[in-house]
Amino acid sequence: MSDPRSNARAILQEWGVKNFRVIDKEAISEITLGASILATGGGGDPEIGLLWTYKVIDEGKEILMIDPMDVPDDVQTASTACLGAAIVLTEKPPSGEVLNLAMERLAQYLGRSIQATIPLECGGVNSPVSYAAAGELGVPVVDVDGMNRAFPELQMTSWVTHGVHCSPTVSVDSRMNVTVIDTGGDDVLAETLARRVAMAYGGISWIATYPLTGKQVKETSILYSQSIAWAAGRAVMRARREHLDPIEELLKSLKKERNVDGFRVFSGKIVDINRDFGSETNKGFTLGSIVMEGIDDYKDQTATLDFQNEWLNLRVNGDILCLPPDLIAILDSETGEPIRTDIMKYGYRGTIVLIPAHERMRTPKGIEMFGPRHFGYDLDYVAVEGLNKHRR
Amino acid sequence: MGVGGMSKTTRLRVGFDVGGTFTDGVLMKGREVLAKAKSLTTQDVTGGIVEALDCVLDGSAVDLSEISMVSLGTTHTTNALIERRNLNKVGIFRLGAPATTAIPPLTGWPNDLKETIGGQELAYIIRGGSEYDGRDIVPLDKKAIEEACKAMKGKVDSIAITGVFSPIIADHEEQAEEVVRSVLGNEIHVTLSHRIATISLLERENSTILNAAVITVMQRAVQSLKAAAADRGIDAPLFIVQNDGSVMSADYAVDYPIFTVASGPAASVRGSVYLSGIEDGVVVDIGGTSTDVAYIVKGFPRESSITVNIGGVKTNIRCPDLLSIALGGGTIVKHNGDDVTGLGPESVGYNLVRLGTSFGGPLMTVHDTAVALGKLDTRLDVFKTDFVTAPDKIAALSRPLVENAWEAIRKTIEETIDKMKTTGEAVPAIFIGGGALVVPKTGISGVSEVVSPDHFEVGGAIGTTIAEIGAYAEGVVDLDIEDRKEAIAEVTEHAKDNAEAAGAIRSTVEVIDVEEIPFTYMPGKREKIRIRVKGQVL
Repeated sequence: MSDPRSNARAILQEWGVKNFRVIDKEAISEITLGASILATGGGGDPEIGLLWTYKVIDEGKEILMIDPMDVPDDVQTASTACLGAAIVLTEKPPSGEVLNLAMERLAQYLGRSIQATIPLECGGVNSPVSYAAAGELGVPVVDVDGMNRAFPELQMTSWVTHGVHCSPTVSVDSRMNVTVIDTGGDDVLAETLARRVAMAYGGISWIATYPLTGKQVKETSILYSQSIAWAAGRAVMRARREHLDPIEELLKSLKKERNVDGFRVFSGKIVDINRDFGSETNKGFTLGSIVMEGIDDYKDQTATLDFQNEWLNLRVNGDILCLPPDLIAILDSETGEPIRTDIMKYGYRGTIVLIPAHERMRTPKGIEMFGPRHFGYDLDYVAVEGLNKHRR
Repeated sequence: MGVGGMSKTTRLRVGFDVGGTFTDGVLMKGREVLAKAKSLTTQDVTGGIVEALDCVLDGSAVDLSEISMVSLGTTHTTNALIERRNLNKVGIFRLGAPATTAIPPLTGWPNDLKETIGGQELAYIIRGGSEYDGRDIVPLDKKAIEEACKAMKGKVDSIAITGVFSPIIADHEEQAEEVVRSVLGNEIHVTLSHRIATISLLERENSTILNAAVITVMQRAVQSLKAAAADRGIDAPLFIVQNDGSVMSADYAVDYPIFTVASGPAASVRGSVYLSGIEDGVVVDIGGTSTDVAYIVKGFPRESSITVNIGGVKTNIRCPDLLSIALGGGTIVKHNGDDVTGLGPESVGYNLVRLGTSFGGPLMTVHDTAVALGKLDTRLDVFKTDFVTAPDKIAALSRPLVENAWEAIRKTIEETIDKMKTTGEAVPAIFIGGGALVVPKTGISGVSEVVSPDHFEVGGAIGTTIAEIGAYAEGVVDLDIEDRKEAIAEVTEHAKDNAEAAGAIRSTVEVIDVEEIPFTYMPGKREKIRIRVKGQVL
């Protein structure tokens, strides 16, 4: 049982599951690219998550992804992720032991072993991290997540809006410090505590969280979120190889996988970045706003975006074009590579794409928990399709 | 400054641009080209430059003491990194354990490059580094550095030190340098990451290691070029073009060679803009072995966003966004009967005069295609040969093959330009470089006009002589007290003062980068503002 390779397969055999996908380096690079596009400007440096997962694969540990409908109702799953300010992670990658430590301690606290990982969000770090953890622990990854995008706070998931909770959550750092957060049904308090712990650790923490049963996974997750990200990443990589327009290919992929229309609304360059400095340690987020000046078809237009780890809203010439939880991606026009809030610089050029949030994120409870008012805007949520009607 | 007018207008400058095949040299008096020359690029690069220098001096009767500036766009560092030649063995210190160990230094590097610089066994992750708020992650483990230095003594030429959050607080890097020097001595070159690039540990570490790997290459180049200039009685400062197209003093470049990886292409872009007067469009620099395409906006090359790949390694060095393809005058046309099956990537390079059909050789090249179609009717003096010495061999080439090859070349150029464009509208294209003569200039869709200005064949070398001085200024502000916009404006003025002091015309100085780095470990909302500017040289 110490060979993780036999372990993940042994679990699937025990469940009678014959269908799974082996995640190799190409697969994880496609999934991670797609996830970092869906990450809405956040989600962290994909390089770190990718290199980490490559290392796990190189060590001969097998990573298997399964259909959520194949997960037995009564098994224990959990999510593992990095929580904190993306810019801190970009500068301070973890030790190799943090994921094992967090999951191990969560299992200990629960008194049950964890038999699958469920990715928390779509992001350059937290997507591959779920796969790296699965490889390390010798358990499968389930084709779901809690957002189908990235969001700045722990409780902003379809899991919470559908009645399950993130507690208990275990938070660790590279110095092997361990904190257990158990707030029962108060997910906002769990987030507040987890954020404080991350700040005390130096800006980021590594968590094991959302201990869900198989039944809860099926009933409350964004189903097939991994496949959606994978298809998006594959489409953009193909566009690069075949010199197609990566943005067009991305929009086609989303139409095919989710039957939604995304919108290409702006191209420009960043002319001002106003970071709320200190927010990383005062508030535990990367905060601020940027201004972009239009180029080409968008000449003489000005776009402004606020961010809290992720892009929050978009205004072009004062008109609101997107509000949370709908997705905003600024993509390099030639490569489709996302421009993230933690690494953007003066002068960067990109095209802005808007994507409707997944329907499980748009419930009334979802709008209450992560709609515009939650982020301090005195505005009612209007879906991105409504705000961009004229662009159809 | 006295009566500077006279000496300024007569001021002479010598400029060089090193390409894969040829090294170009020019002697300039203001805007006037007094002499130009091409020599073959040598393996050591420096030999070709010295030869080009002799050629331009030879053809002109100038007073060498009047030469006020020698400038260079060079591929010394890039070639060394791409060819894995003459690289230093690098002792690598990362200050960050127990964090950061999931991804050790050199992860993701090409194996051959990793081995050439000494590999993983010279890389150490030391306990240390800072948190975002300035606290230590853990205290710096100086003992471990000392022991590592003892172990690597005699095995390393250069040291790279990268500390977590050093762009915010550099203390641990500086302390580590002291320990290194106490064991390995003062002669050893040490590169500290906070002087190379900004936040993003892995990319900054990669950039720092690459810089350490090419220190000796750049030191030797600068030494021998200075000696060559002095030997010939030239007493003028040596400048090297850096990645953003501005110039830096050679004495500075020896510590920061990584800032010259795009030196040659950056010089070409500046030369193209200067010679053509076109500020928006594409620059197509065609050499003997390759073509670089850059997109220019307001006279400057568009920068790469995200990461820049150097020799297969991801870095966060700021560089122009260049697309290089293996197409030049010496590129071999592969064919099967009359069908062209491929262009290159192999090039005969400077062996064109032995191997090309035009010179009686066995291979058909891009050059031979142009000759066969009668596109090369004028002799350029800088090439010390006629374009064809074996017209009978050219006449014997199959006409359909020649036409197919010409079409293949046209299509390749068209596609490459198209990839670099961000607009659907047709834009002007500036064709420069020695190979500009041998490629099609008409029928390229997406291009409004093709311009090959006078002296196009030495455009890069001219670009080095008009390159601007780059300068920067830093200021620390407390945003609780001061207005951010006013603070930026104030630092910008300081940067402009510095540029002016370094020889730039104030009215031409413009901002190229605004960087803000927070000091969250200090009370208030303090940040460092760093503004880079550049302006034209007087």
